[in-house]
Amino acid sequence: MANLILRNVSKAFGTTDVIKSVNLEVSHGEFVVFVGPSGCGKSTLLRLITGLEEVTDGQIIIEDRDVTYLKPSKREVAMVFQSYALFPHLTVAENIGFGLKLSKVPKDEISARVKEVASVLRVENLLARKPRQLSGGQRQRVAIGRSIIRQPKVFLFDEPLSNLDAALRVVMRIEITRLHQNLGATMIYVTHDQTEAMTLADRIVVLNEGRIEQVGSPLKLYENPINRFVAGFIGSPAMNFIKGTIDTDDNKMIARLGPYTMEINKPNLNQGMEIEVGIRPEHIAIVSPEEGILTAEVEIIEKLGVESMLYLKTEASEELLTVRTDPKHTIGTGDRLGLKLPESELHFFDQKGDLV
Amino acid sequence: MVDQVATLPSSREFNPWPVGIFICLLVLACLFLAPTIGVMLSSIKTTREIAEGGLWDIPTRLFLGNFVEVLANPAVHRYFLNTFLVTVPATAASIALGVLAGYVFSKLPFWGSNLLFLVLISGMFFPPQVILIPLFQFFNSLGLIDTLWPIIFIHTALGIPICTLLMRNFFATVPNSLREAAILEGANEFQVLTRVALPLSLPALAVLATLQFTWIWNDFLWPLIFTQSDEKRTIMVGIVNLKGQYSVAWGVQGALSLVASLPTLIVFLFFQRYFIKGMTMGAVKG
Ligand SMILES: Nc1ncnc2c1ncn2[C@@H]1O[C@H](COP(=O)(O)OP(=O)(O)OP(=O)(O)O)[C@@H](O)[C@H]1O
Ligand SMILES: [Mg+2]
Repeated sequence: MANLILRNVSKAFGTTDVIKSVNLEVSHGEFVVFVGPSGCGKSTLLRLITGLEEVTDGQIIIEDRDVTYLKPSKREVAMVFQSYALFPHLTVAENIGFGLKLSKVPKDEISARVKEVASVLRVENLLARKPRQLSGGQRQRVAIGRSIIRQPKVFLFDEPLSNLDAALRVVMRIEITRLHQNLGATMIYVTHDQTEAMTLADRIVVLNEGRIEQVGSPLKLYENPINRFVAGFIGSPAMNFIKGTIDTDDNKMIARLGPYTMEINKPNLNQGMEIEVGIRPEHIAIVSPEEGILTAEVEIIEKLGVESMLYLKTEASEELLTVRTDPKHTIGTGDRLGLKLPESELHFFDQKGDLV
Repeated sequence: MVDQVATLPSSREFNPWPVGIFICLLVLACLFLAPTIGVMLSSIKTTREIAEGGLWDIPTRLFLGNFVEVLANPAVHRYFLNTFLVTVPATAASIALGVLAGYVFSKLPFWGSNLLFLVLISGMFFPPQVILIPLFQFFNSLGLIDTLWPIIFIHTALGIPICTLLMRNFFATVPNSLREAAILEGANEFQVLTRVALPLSLPALAVLATLQFTWIWNDFLWPLIFTQSDEKRTIMVGIVNLKGQYSVAWGVQGALSLVASLPTLIVFLFFQRYFIKGMTMGAVKG
């Protein structure tokens, strides 16, 4: 059953269209992550769902109820802000119980439920403190506590971990996964962090300039991006792109990539087509210079422990190619290598950026 | 290294500036304090002592008769009551209206609200003489002359610009995400104001309460214009009034002046502990 439906949702601030006819269905208990470049409208979309902003056009449905013009408090959604937005003059307990107090829930019940939520988030011993006496991670837990206590239908998170340091981010990421499993609630999560997106999401929504570029499971987006934008956005380090043209030679289809040529077998490519070939860093095979389709020179080596990143200069493109390799290799800066691009791992994009 | 050490000024060298500034400040402080000291001195002398020795002599003994006389005088009780009846409601009303207007201007702006805000603030710059006669005629036509009502209304109105200005600027420092978080928790705009914005604005409220209370309590002009009978006098007009009853009641006047300034002092001492910064610390990051 769909828990949240966005139908042709659009939003303009003055004359600038920020969200352009977004359609999305989120099913019950799903964890959906919004990603996209800065300013693409992720926060705006969340705010439209909460009702903090009103749509210019379109419809928002939560659990079969049209909430498009309902007040935020009537939508049964909760949001965790990037800045935590805890009330500084209230204690942790009062912060968590704020909404219940407003809806005149009896005191005993509030304190019982606050204790319960606090124990889920492991902040029981902080209940009497003020937000300024908490660490970043603890503040974020309290903010999450405030959002879960009213048992909303949809949880919205706007970059909740971006103010935390890397180690704490990993801990909190796991906690959020745990919370999602325990509550079985629908969650929509905005992040800039590739790892967060890939690990948390049931489905990722890639936004660009107010439009949805692609929706799908993390692996689907990683393996089968439908356009160049998604291909370039998902994955870190990013996919390599090489510009080229399609040609025929002895009745065989070939792709010319700068001075290099490689035989390909793609029936839906036509001769003379300008294309861009994408390949992930881990799919480029390193061979001897004689065997390779491309020859390259090693410019930079990044040793990351579990793997090494090679940045290679080729004549195929201005930009350096990134190759992910085993750290035990003996390649050094300045070495000449041959590269092979396995055809099954190539993504071909036409000039508009669509997959062909 | 050697150069640097050489250019350091010797700590023994005489620097005339701080001394000069200190002397200036000391002279100014004395000038400002002198009238108050004069009043204090005269309040503990008998009329005879004042007549014989002048205002500035240090009295040989402490005479509290002036204070007894002032505190026992039923007219003074009436003055105090009237002043409270004006000051407390006018202070409360002007701050309340300033809070409401300031909240709207900072958190709920609408088309033209900035212009309206400027218009409202410009109200601070009207000299009272300009509005005095129209106001008198207006309240006269309502039959409110020689009551406390005109004074309450006028002080409320005159206080709105400064209260709105201060509250708007203070509310602007309350992060918007706090308002939004409260709204998502089910708060309406009024609850956002009372449960979130106001508790975080105690320093501004304390400053305003002190300012408005002092200003209205010490006002002389408006009560002078709108009250005539002795039963409607406020304390500041009352002090002058004592002069009429007694030939040269310097001592009594001094005593009453001191007693009359006590409430503002108490208000200041009470509110000054809220004059602290950093109330919003910990709300958002950092
Ligand atoms: N209240 C507003 N008035 C006018 N323009 C706005 C308003 N809020 C957002 N915008 C614009 O809408 C666009 C999308 O903003 P939004 O905050 O949704 O981006 P975002 O994807 O969340 O970016 P980031 O990743 O940096 O948080 C931006 O270009 C922004 O300038
Ligand atoms: Mg954002």
